[in-house]
Amino acid sequence: MDPIKTEVVVVGAGPGGYAAAFYAADYGKKVILIEQDKRLGGVCLNRGCIPSKALLHATKLVVEARESAHRGIMFGEPKVDLEKLRAWKEGILQKLAAGVAQIAKMRGVQVIHGRGYFEDSTTLRVETESGQQLIHYEKAIVAVGSKSALPKAFDLGNPRVMTSREALDIEEIPQELLVVGGGYIGMELGTVYAALGSRVVVVEALDSILTGADPDLVRPVMAYAKRAFKEVRVKTKVAKMATAGKQIKVVFDDGTQQKEELYDRVLVAVGRVPNCADLGLENTKVERDEKGFIKVNERQETNDPPILAIGDIAGGVLLAHKASKEARIAVEAMIGEASVFKDVVIPAVVFTDPEVAWCGLTEAEARAKGINVEVAKFPWGASGRALTFDRTDGLTKLVIDPETERVLGVGIVGHGAGELISEGVVAVEMGATVRDLAECVHPHPTLSETIMEAAEVFFGHATHTVVRKRTE
Amino acid sequence: MDLRLPKLGEGAESGTVVSLHVKEGDTVTKGQTLLELENEKAVAPIPSTVAGTVAKLRVKEGDTVSVGQVIATINESDGPAAPEVPAAPKKLAPARAAEPEPAPEEEEPVEDESQEVSDAAVAAAPSIRKIARELGISLGKIRGSERGGRIVMADLRAYIQRLQKLTAGRAAPSAPPPQRIDFSKWGEVTKKPLSPLRKTIGRRMIESWNAIPHVTQFDEADITGLMELRKKHGAAYEGKGAKLTLTPLVIKAVIAALKKHPVFNASIDEAADELVFKEYYHIGVAVDTEHGLFVPVIRNADRKSLFELSKEVNELAEKARDRKLGLEEMQGGTLTISNQGGIGGGHFTPIVNRPEVAILGLGRGVMKAVVKEKKIETRLLMPVCVSYDHRVIDGGSAARFVVDLIQAIENFNEEDVRL
Repeated sequence: MDPIKTEVVVVGAGPGGYAAAFYAADYGKKVILIEQDKRLGGVCLNRGCIPSKALLHATKLVVEARESAHRGIMFGEPKVDLEKLRAWKEGILQKLAAGVAQIAKMRGVQVIHGRGYFEDSTTLRVETESGQQLIHYEKAIVAVGSKSALPKAFDLGNPRVMTSREALDIEEIPQELLVVGGGYIGMELGTVYAALGSRVVVVEALDSILTGADPDLVRPVMAYAKRAFKEVRVKTKVAKMATAGKQIKVVFDDGTQQKEELYDRVLVAVGRVPNCADLGLENTKVERDEKGFIKVNERQETNDPPILAIGDIAGGVLLAHKASKEARIAVEAMIGEASVFKDVVIPAVVFTDPEVAWCGLTEAEARAKGINVEVAKFPWGASGRALTFDRTDGLTKLVIDPETERVLGVGIVGHGAGELISEGVVAVEMGATVRDLAECVHPHPTLSETIMEAAEVFFGHATHTVVRKRTE
Repeated sequence: MDLRLPKLGEGAESGTVVSLHVKEGDTVTKGQTLLELENEKAVAPIPSTVAGTVAKLRVKEGDTVSVGQVIATINESDGPAAPEVPAAPKKLAPARAAEPEPAPEEEEPVEDESQEVSDAAVAAAPSIRKIARELGISLGKIRGSERGGRIVMADLRAYIQRLQKLTAGRAAPSAPPPQRIDFSKWGEVTKKPLSPLRKTIGRRMIESWNAIPHVTQFDEADITGLMELRKKHGAAYEGKGAKLTLTPLVIKAVIAALKKHPVFNASIDEAADELVFKEYYHIGVAVDTEHGLFVPVIRNADRKSLFELSKEVNELAEKARDRKLGLEEMQGGTLTISNQGGIGGGHFTPIVNRPEVAILGLGRGVMKAVVKEKKIETRLLMPVCVSYDHRVIDGGSAARFVVDLIQAIENFNEEDVRL
C-alpha cells in the first residue's frame, strides 16, 4: 500500500478520539481515524459506560419489582434469560457503534481499522488486515485510552478471574462473586450481579468504598450495598488467589489475620492502566510519566509538537466526558484557538444504587486544602418527589465560598443523581452564587428542587425542612 | 550592604538625584538622609536604612535612578545585616538616563485591580473565560460586577475600553512632532531643561484640559465680616502656634457648600460610566513654590476644627515649599482650592484637578463700593471663581453652589472660629 498523507490522524476511536476526528473534520481538516477494534466507540461504548448502564437499567427492574410488593403490586420471581439480556445489550452497542461509523462517513473522516504504531514524529504505521499502511501526518492526536489493570498475582489465566470487560459479557451468574476493589466499577458491576442473584462480596483495601466522594454521599450507597451484597469488607487486601477446581481460592488479609474463601468468580476492579505499550512512542519525543500516561500541557500538546494526546492516555481523571472535552481543546489548539484545559469542571457520576454524583470542589477536598467553605445540605427525606418512589436515601449538598457565596462544588447522592449533577456543573462553571440557585424556580415535584432547597438551607429558610414538619 | 532605591509610591518608578547629602567615608545613622530624589511628583529624601559608613556611593547628582537600583554601599557599624531594604521591587529596571517618560499614573486604576486573584478563583462563565484568553487578558485583573464578583461581558468590555483609552491617551501628547525653534536668532536666551515636576504639571494640565469641558463661574464674596473675625481671633491662633489665614476659613465654608451639593465632591468613573460620590471631604490646597505647583491634601477636613485646619494648611504649605511632601499627601483630594489672594489676583479660570470635578479659585479681596439697602457702603469683596466639569455639573447647579458658598463665607459662624 502506498503511504497516504493527511492533515490529521487520530489514533483510537473512543469518545475522545472520534470526537476529535469529527471536530477536526468540521474545521475542514483531512482526517484519518485509526481504530484497532472492528467496532468504533472504544471502551466507553463497547466495554464500559454504555453496556454497564444497560445492564444496570435491566437489573434495576428486578430490584424495583421486588420492592413494589408493599405498594400492593406483586410480581413472581424473575426469570433471567442471559442470552437475551446479552443480545439486547449487544443490540444497543451495535446501534451506537454503527451510528459513530455513519457520522464518520458523513463527515468525510476516513476510518482505518488496525493497530497504529509511530515510526517517527510525523509517520504512523497501521497494521491492517490487508497489510501495512504508512500515514504521513501534520498532526496526530493520540487517544488510545486505558484498560483494566490486572495485577500479576491475580492473573491466573483462568476465565473465572474477570476484569470489567469480561464481567460485562455475563457469561454466567456466579453464585458466589468476589469483587476486588470498591471503586465505581466494582460497585456498579457488583450491583448488576447482586440483582441477577449472585451473592456478592466486595473487598476494598482502603477504609471506604468510592474514595474521592464525600463520606456523607457514600453512606447511602454503603447502606444499600450492605443490604444487597453479602458483605462489604473494607481495609482488607487480597493476599493470594489460586484456581481450586471450578472455583477460585482467595486469601484475604485484613492486617491482623488471613482468611481463605472460595468463589465461583472474581471480578478484579483495582484501577486502569494506560494503553501505552507497542505504540512506538519511543520513536517520537513524546514523554510519559512514571505510570505510563502521556505528559501533555494544558493545550493537550505533548513534548513532540506534531503530536497531541487526549483522554485516558493523557492521565488525569479517566472519564469519557473528560476525553471529549479534551478532544475539543486539542482540535482548537491545533487550529490556533486560545483554548486550554484549565478550571474545567469535570463531573463524576457513580451509577450505584443510589447514584452518587459530584462536581467542582468536594467538602473533603476543601478541608484537606484548608479552603474555608460552608456546606448547605438538603436531605431527601424532605423531598416529596423522593417519597413518591420510596427513595428518601438521598442528599443534595452545596459547597459554598462564604465570602462571595459562590457555589464551588455540588454533591448529590440519590436516585438520578447522575442527571441532576449537570445543574451543579452549570452553576460552578458559570460562577453562580448560592442566591442564584435559590432564586431559580425549579419544577415541582421533582428531585431538582433539592438543589434549590439546599441553596435555601444556606440562607436558613428552606421550605421543606424541619420547620414545615413542625407546623404541620 | 547595598542600599537600593525603595519604592517611592504609586506609579513612581524612578527619579533624578537632585542632591547628595553624604559622601564616601561619611558615617550615617539609620534614617539619615542620603540623597534627595526628584520625581514627577515631589522631591523625596531617601534615608539610610542602616547605620554605618558609606563605603561607596553608586549615584551622582543628575543621575536617573530606578526603584530597586543600588544607590550606595554601606558598611554596617553594628549588628547583623538588616534583613531587607524596604519594599525592594521585583524587577530591577536598569537606569533609564535617557528615558525621561515614567509611567503615567493613570495606569494605576487598571493595575490596581489586580488584587492577587489567581485565574482559578475567577468567577466567570466559560465563554467569557475563552474570550479573555483569546484577547490575552487575565481575568484576575478585572473586578466582576455580578453577584459573588462574577465577571460578565460588560465587565470585560469596560476593562478593554479602559485599556484602549489608556494607550490612546498615552499616544496623543507625542502625536504632533514638536518643532525646534531657534529663539537665539532673535536675541539672547538662556536654556534650562524642564524639570520632571514641570513636565508632569504640564502633562496633567493638558490631560485635564482635554478631558474636561470646563466652565468657570465668577462671583464675588463679601469678606468684610470674615476679615473682622480673623482680626479678632488671629492673635489667639498665633499664640497657639497657628496662623489664621483666609484659606482655612474658606475650607470651612466650602465644606458646608459641598455637603449641600454632593456632586461637587464627586468623580466620574469613566470606565464604569458611574458618578462616584465620596463620603469624605479631602480638600486640596494649591501651593505656589519656586519649583512649581503642589497640591497637598487636607484629609477629612470636615472633621477638623478651624484651628486644626489652620495648623495643617501652614504645615503642608511649608512642606510643599521645602519639597518634603510625600506622594500620599498629594493624593485622594475631592476638591481643590487655589487661593491667589496672598499674591494679588483678580478673577481667573483655574483648571480642574482631575479626577476631581471642580476647583475653587480665590482672588485678592478689594474694597469696593456696594449698594446695600439703597446706601452705598465700602465692603471688602473677594473674587470667587469656580471651574467645573460641565459633563456632570450643569450651569444651574454651579450657580446654586456658588450662591451657597458665598452665603457660607458671608455668614461665617463665629463659634467655629473661637478657640
